[in-house]
Amino acid sequence: MTLPKTSQALDIFDPSSYPTRRDEEWKYSDLSRVLRDVPKKAMVVRTLSELEAEPDGFVYFSADEAGFEGLQAAADFAMRKAHGRLYIDGNDFGDEDGYLGYQGHGEISLAAGQSLVVFEDYTGAFDYAVHSRLRFTLGEGAKLTRVVILDEPETAVSVRQSTVETAPGSIFRQHVFATGAKFQRFETHVNHAGRDAVVEMNGAYLLKDKRHFDYTTRVTHGQVNGETAQLVKGLVKDNAAGVFQGRILVEKGADGTDARMRHQALILNDGAHIRAKPELEIYADDVQCAHGNTIGALDEEALFFCESRGIPEEVARAMLTHAFVLPVVDQIEDEVLRETVLNFLENASESFYAL
Amino acid sequence: MLSIKDLSVAVDTKQILKGLSLDVPAGEVHAIMGPNGAGKSTLGYALAGRPNYEIKGGTVEFNGEDLLDKDVHERAAAGLYLSFQYPLEIPGVPALTFLRTALNAQKKLRGEGEVSAPEFLKRVREVAKTLKIDMDMLKRPLNVGFSGGEKKRMEVLQMALLEPKFLILDETDSGLDIDALKVVSDGVNALRAPDRGMLVITHYQRLLDHIRPDRVHVLVAGRIVRSGGPELALELEAHGYDRYLGEAA
Repeated sequence: MTLPKTSQALDIFDPSSYPTRRDEEWKYSDLSRVLRDVPKKAMVVRTLSELEAEPDGFVYFSADEAGFEGLQAAADFAMRKAHGRLYIDGNDFGDEDGYLGYQGHGEISLAAGQSLVVFEDYTGAFDYAVHSRLRFTLGEGAKLTRVVILDEPETAVSVRQSTVETAPGSIFRQHVFATGAKFQRFETHVNHAGRDAVVEMNGAYLLKDKRHFDYTTRVTHGQVNGETAQLVKGLVKDNAAGVFQGRILVEKGADGTDARMRHQALILNDGAHIRAKPELEIYADDVQCAHGNTIGALDEEALFFCESRGIPEEVARAMLTHAFVLPVVDQIEDEVLRETVLNFLENASESFYAL
Repeated sequence: MLSIKDLSVAVDTKQILKGLSLDVPAGEVHAIMGPNGAGKSTLGYALAGRPNYEIKGGTVEFNGEDLLDKDVHERAAAGLYLSFQYPLEIPGVPALTFLRTALNAQKKLRGEGEVSAPEFLKRVREVAKTLKIDMDMLKRPLNVGFSGGEKKRMEVLQMALLEPKFLILDETDSGLDIDALKVVSDGVNALRAPDRGMLVITHYQRLLDHIRPDRVHVLVAGRIVRSGGPELALELEAHGYDRYLGEAA
C-alpha cells in the first residue's frame, strides 16, 4: 500500500512538497505554517551498532536521526534471538538556532507465521524537524505489535508515517502514546487486505502548553471478515491542540467486516482544542461498523469526591487523568511494555499538572 | 467541636441556607432531619467545601479553626469527613490505591509520617472483615460496578481508616436494605468516641433507630426551626414536617 499523493511527496528539505491547509488530510495540521524555513541538512555519521539482545529481552536498534537502515536485519535477528522483541530507539538532536532536518525510511517484513513486538521510543532535544516513513508487511498468520512512545521536546517538528499491509489471518496491533510537540503527526495507513485479519489502532495523548499532536489513521478493508478495533483517548489543556482523524473504508465485497472506532477526549480549559474527524465509509453490504466520538471535561464531581477524602486537587486531577487513559494501556499484551508505558504515562500525568 | 453561626449558602445564585446556626460538641451525635429541599445536603456539601457552593455569610469553626478558610482537602486533613449520599465511581483507580493515597496525603499535610504498605494492608484487612468487604473488591476500581450497599460499606471503611474527628453522614441509609443498614450502622457506631462528633443527615427516622442521636434538629427552608432530644425524631415520624413548613414560610 502506498501513502496518498501528498504524503508520498513530502520531503522536509523541499518546501514546495509541504502539504498545506488546502489538503483535506492536513487541514488541522499545517506543516507549511510551522516549517517556515527549510531545515538545515545535518551531517549524519552513522555507525551501525552491534545487534545485541538486551536484558529485557529486546534486540536494540538505534534509529537516531531517522536512520532506519538495517531495520529488517535487526527485526530478523530479534525474531531469531530475542523472543521476537525489537527496541527501536529514536533520538533526534537539533540545533539551538534554526531547525536541523532528518528524513529516513525503513521496512520490516514478517514472513508467514512470524511474530514480532516492536517498541518505538522517540525522543530528542532542541530544534529538529524529522520525517520518517516505515513500511510493515505481514505474511499469512503473522503477528506484529507496535508500541510507540512519542516523548519529544516542545520545539520539535515531527511527522512519522507508516504503511501496513496485512495478509490472511494476520494480526496487527498499534498502541501510540504521545505528549505532542510544536508539530507532531503520527500517521498510519493500513491496507486490510487479508481475509480474517485483525487490526487494532489504539492511542492516548496528553497535551499541554502549545503542543500539537495529530493521530491520523486510515484503514482500508478490502477482504472478507476483517476486524478493526480502535480506541483513542486524549486530554488537552492550556493552548494545546489535539487532532484525531480516523478513517475506516470498507470496500465493495469486504463482507463480514467488523469495525469499531472510539475516540474520547477531555478538554480541560477553554484555550485548548480538539479536532476529531471519525469517518466510516462503507461500500460492502454485510458489515458491522460503529464509531463513537465524545469530547467532554474532567468529572468535577469525582474530583470533589477525591478532594473531600484529603487528596489535593492537582494530585486528584493527575490521578483521574491517568485513570482516564488507562484502558488504552490495558490493551497492550506485552507485560514489560505495558509497565514501560504506564511509567511514561504516570510521569506524563504528573508533569501535566506540574506536580 | 463544630460551631456553625448564621450560615448562609447559595448554589447557582439560589439561596439555600438562610442563617443556620448549630453547635455539635465532641462526643455527641446530632441528627438533622427535614423535608426534601430544606438544605440538608447543601449543609454537608458547604461544610466539605464543594465548589459553586457560595458562602454568603456566617462562620464555621472547627476545633477552634476557621473551617471555611480551608481548601477541600485541608478540611479533610483537619478531620472532617463527608460521607456521600451517592458515592462517586472512580474508574481506573483501585480502591486500595485510592485509600492509601488519601490517607498519606492527609498525614503529609498534618506533618505525620506515611503509613507503610504492610501496615496499611493489615489495618485494611481488619476493618474490611468487620464490614464484610471482600479484599478482592478493594483491588477493583473504587465503587465501579458496586451495588448501593457495597458503596455505603466502602464509605464506612474509608471513615474507619481515615479516622476523622468529625463525620457528616448524608442520607447514609438511602439505598440500603435492612441487613446492609445494620452492617453500616454498626460500623458507624463503632466510631463513636468521646473526641469525635457526628452529624447525621436523614429524611427518615429509620436510620436513627440504629444510630442513636443525642440531639435532633429540624431543618426547614434553610434554617433550624426546632431542636430537641431523640424523641423529636419519633414525633416527626408521626406527624411529618407539615407544621414546620407553615412556620418557615
